[in-house]
Amino acid sequence: MTYTNNELITAFLARQIRDDDMCFVGVGTNGRAFTLAVGIPLAAVRLAQMNHAPGAAVYWGNLLEPDLSVIPDIFTQDAFTRWQAASCPPDTGTKCDMLMRRRFDVSFNSAAQIDRFGNLNITAIGDYRAPNVRLVGSLAQPEHLAFVRRPYLVCDLDKRTFVEKVDFITSVGYLHGGNSRLEAGLDEGGPQLVVTDKAIFDFEPTSKAMRLSSLHPGVTLEEVRDLMSLQPIIPETIPTTPEPTESEVAAIRNDIDPNRVLLKV
Amino acid sequence: MKEKLVSLETALAPITSGASITLGGSLLRRQPNAAVRHLIQRGVRDLTVLTWAGTTAIDMLAAADAVKRWEGIYVGMFNYGLAPNFRRAVQDGKIEVRDFSETAFTARLRAAAQGLPFLPIRTLLGSDIAAKNPEQIKPFDCPFTGRKLQAIAAADTEFTIIHGYAGDKYGNVQWPLVRDTDDMDQPMAAAAKRLIVTVEKIIPHEEIKAEPARTYIPGAWVEAIVEVPYGAHPVACDAIYDEDDAAIRDYLAASRTGEGAEEWLDRHARNPADHAAYLDLFGGAEALARLNLARGAA
Repeated sequence: MTYTNNELITAFLARQIRDDDMCFVGVGTNGRAFTLAVGIPLAAVRLAQMNHAPGAAVYWGNLLEPDLSVIPDIFTQDAFTRWQAASCPPDTGTKCDMLMRRRFDVSFNSAAQIDRFGNLNITAIGDYRAPNVRLVGSLAQPEHLAFVRRPYLVCDLDKRTFVEKVDFITSVGYLHGGNSRLEAGLDEGGPQLVVTDKAIFDFEPTSKAMRLSSLHPGVTLEEVRDLMSLQPIIPETIPTTPEPTESEVAAIRNDIDPNRVLLKV
Repeated sequence: MKEKLVSLETALAPITSGASITLGGSLLRRQPNAAVRHLIQRGVRDLTVLTWAGTTAIDMLAAADAVKRWEGIYVGMFNYGLAPNFRRAVQDGKIEVRDFSETAFTARLRAAAQGLPFLPIRTLLGSDIAAKNPEQIKPFDCPFTGRKLQAIAAADTEFTIIHGYAGDKYGNVQWPLVRDTDDMDQPMAAAAKRLIVTVEKIIPHEEIKAEPARTYIPGAWVEAIVEVPYGAHPVACDAIYDEDDAAIRDYLAASRTGEGAEEWLDRHARNPADHAAYLDLFGGAEALARLNLARGAA
């Protein structure tokens, strides 16, 4: 059976969603960044809803439980305004409160830089006061990494993205590894998996360092190493990321994303 | 009730160089762009600006070299990418930045609304956002549990400018029943010291009175209200008109260089006599009606 890389990742993420999970999806940006931050996550939660997790819910923008059976296919402001949902709280403060109370089970996050301990940078490349590249700031990403029970990092493998140490810790993953996240005052949690276009990573339970978890079908270890500036822990035997099933691919193509808006690029 | 309906010029007259202002709106919705263009026309500079998810308004101010310091959760152009003028100014060291995550900024607004010097959060423990801002984010131990918390300083700007949907001459501003709520305009209004509101349309007080639950900014909080149709252009006023894709792309194309942005500002902010003259650059209200949405708010 043929499938695309985006379909492989979508099906993999869908299987991570549990019934009744409250999942945060961002509203972000364009092109490949849109696919990673919005398209794949929305498709994955919808696939989970259709299969094993009918109670899984999404908080998107400031819409609580938007109807994922009719995801807009034009993303202009008015398409967001008219997307039907169970609730549209009066302002974003409601979402902030839900985050701090740890009401979210899952979030999907991407970043300009990710380091060995799952810290993220979306603020500045280089020196904070006179950066080489000023990025967008922080939004609620620090909240996601601090309070969401199972954040999934969704990023393409790239030497510039996967670095030994981020230039600026916007969002704390496992900080300096070991117990340092807890010692800083944060709760248990932190990024669960890093889902990329080539491989999946988790974090080794004691050191909290990034560890290769599986290679996508046809991808070699050398290829992955060449695309990272940090050296992840490599296990003795490396599994292959499970392929999507025929019915998963059919659901994505026919029901979830028939116009190829979510998984376009 | 006191009448507060004035011209844009009168409403913004108290804001002078060196002032601190909070700007409403979020992403491509209800940025107070008409008000900001007027400040640029007047040559106001050295501003301290607070925003939620800022796009065009803060980026135009950055292009005009009018911002000394920015504090907020985000500056970018949403699905159009990074904010070119803001990015350039920060990279050149012209704007001092202080980042706040969403719960941190929310705490700042709520503290101001409650007259408190700070509110606690625990989001930024370990984050460089806190490490780089010891003046406004201070660690302390919870007096009840002993757990680590962070005190976030209240938002404290002299002025707040919000672009709203519709209001009356007394400054009561209402939102439509179906709208995009992903913003903090109401908490910003509650936190404001001197609140200036521009609205798409002034409507009779009788209409406001009939549905008071839709009044999200009570006139009692407002210093001045101004009727500014298409006041958020080129971004959207959700439920009333959509974003103007061509105009946003034109702005971004001009902003590839600082010189290009300067020329854009001359044509769109400094030279037009008033907001109506700005709208005429796009064919006037008649031509802009193509952006209007079937279900109007006002």
